[in-house]
Amino acid sequence: MVPKGLLYTKDHEWAKIEGDIAIIGITDHAQNQLGELTFVELPDVGKEVKQKGELAVVESSKAASDVYSPVTGKVIEVNKALQAKPEIVNDECYGSGWICKIQITDKATTKNLMDTTQYEEYLKGL
Amino acid sequence: MAEKMAAGAFVFEPLANSPVGSVLYNEHLKLTDKSHIAEFAGYLMPLWYSSIAEEHSAVRQRAGIFDCTHMGALEIAGPNAESFLDAVTTNNVRALQVGSAHYSYLLDAAGNVLDDIIIYRRDKEKFMVVVNASNEPKAKAYLAALQAGKTKIDLAKPDRKIKTAPVRDMRDTQTGFDCRVDIAIQGPASPDVLCKLADASVGQQIKNLKSFTFCQAKLANIDCIISRTGYTGAKVCFELFVHPKDAPKLWQKLIDAGALPCGLGSRDSLRVEAGLPLYGHELDGPYNISPFEAGYGWAVKLDKEFFIGKAAMEKISKTCKMKVARLELSGEKGVRPVRQNDAVICGGLCVGWVLSSATAGSRQIAIVYMDKDKATEGNSVAIYYLARSESQKNKGRKQTVEQGERIIGDITGKVVSRFEKF
Repeated sequence: MVPKGLLYTKDHEWAKIEGDIAIIGITDHAQNQLGELTFVELPDVGKEVKQKGELAVVESSKAASDVYSPVTGKVIEVNKALQAKPEIVNDECYGSGWICKIQITDKATTKNLMDTTQYEEYLKGL
Repeated sequence: MAEKMAAGAFVFEPLANSPVGSVLYNEHLKLTDKSHIAEFAGYLMPLWYSSIAEEHSAVRQRAGIFDCTHMGALEIAGPNAESFLDAVTTNNVRALQVGSAHYSYLLDAAGNVLDDIIIYRRDKEKFMVVVNASNEPKAKAYLAALQAGKTKIDLAKPDRKIKTAPVRDMRDTQTGFDCRVDIAIQGPASPDVLCKLADASVGQQIKNLKSFTFCQAKLANIDCIISRTGYTGAKVCFELFVHPKDAPKLWQKLIDAGALPCGLGSRDSLRVEAGLPLYGHELDGPYNISPFEAGYGWAVKLDKEFFIGKAAMEKISKTCKMKVARLELSGEKGVRPVRQNDAVICGGLCVGWVLSSATAGSRQIAIVYMDKDKATEGNSVAIYYLARSESQKNKGRKQTVEQGERIIGDITGKVVSRFEKF
């Protein structure tokens, strides 16, 4: 199930837009591909990031994977709970497994993201 | 050894075929999502069904089954079978009893490891040789080249001849009646599972099997070679060799009798935890690791009159300065996992590199290739994480570390015993 109301990237990140803040995470497809996460490298608060720029690294026992930013902006908060319990991403990737919040500085960057229907179609084509 | 020994090396160029499902592919699709199936050695194989950690612990606590039908199974038979195998493998085939198996190596004349194998003596003149899936085409081509006299046997004596014997691919159902593929069942409850499928006398036979012995008997009315061997470090472990057409039925029977299907992910984490080598990582591979460095000098019988690669092995056995060791590190959630090629640090200097790693419960086990003198059990070492991403590279994290380089480690651990049994 791909939740409604979020925006998605081809690299399987999601963004929930609330005003000029974007909450960022990875999708169920991404966490399922990685398997149980054992480590999440969070970005520094204050980091400025471009759309598709490197934001975080998620690692399972089998793979390390970059998380790219769905939007251009500045990191204002990170989900510190993931440092001790990275598996929250596996359990609730769209909820308490969020990775960080970004203050969007270029609103136009949200325009080229996929909506739920488009992302579902994209997944079917993989 | 740093570099591949080129002179006399057997060169094999594999064909790039598109991957095919193993003979249990349809069973896997019943058990897991297609996204958990990936290509391995030309086969579509399950990485995990439920989770790597769950499957790992099932093998340690109860019993797990593995699709090993991708592994090669070759029959070498006939009056020259013993002398042929004794010449082309490193262990002592002449001393191998009927009903027993041993671990061995296939080397080329230059001493490069072509594969690590298990040889089963089924009869005086009949052997089954189980080879790695990834090396099966190469092993077949090598044996064929030996039969045809088209590859070097002894670099010092170019006119040396060996007696050869016919080789049959036992997984190919076109080659005869007695065909075999491998399904492994591993873990303490394995005998209970097998006994549910066996009559009382077969059950007793199974319980009596010692490590590296086997018998031929019926399980669920299916003819099996039941072998007390495995690749998980479990003290109680079996491999079942059955006709490919019977494999799906036996697989389901084993599940019904209480075994948990396990994928390649836990197969790897289990073998790493136990310290067992994987060809291409702890043997051969980028560091061209020899059996002596890997901890298996005992399987290379230098007292044999001859085997292919003997001269090179005699030299390496005396000169190697590196060895494969097993390290234990913290593996709590939130600790960054160590990975292949991360640097091993001792006394502030790089003394080696990680070959394989796995998380097992709350610890990480790394198999490393390191300075022999520093690999004493109990020694403290550290690991330096190589850059995993562009941003880490940009922050100055290294992508490679050379031996002897001064560097500060990120996570500490210690050298533990080379192997561990469970």
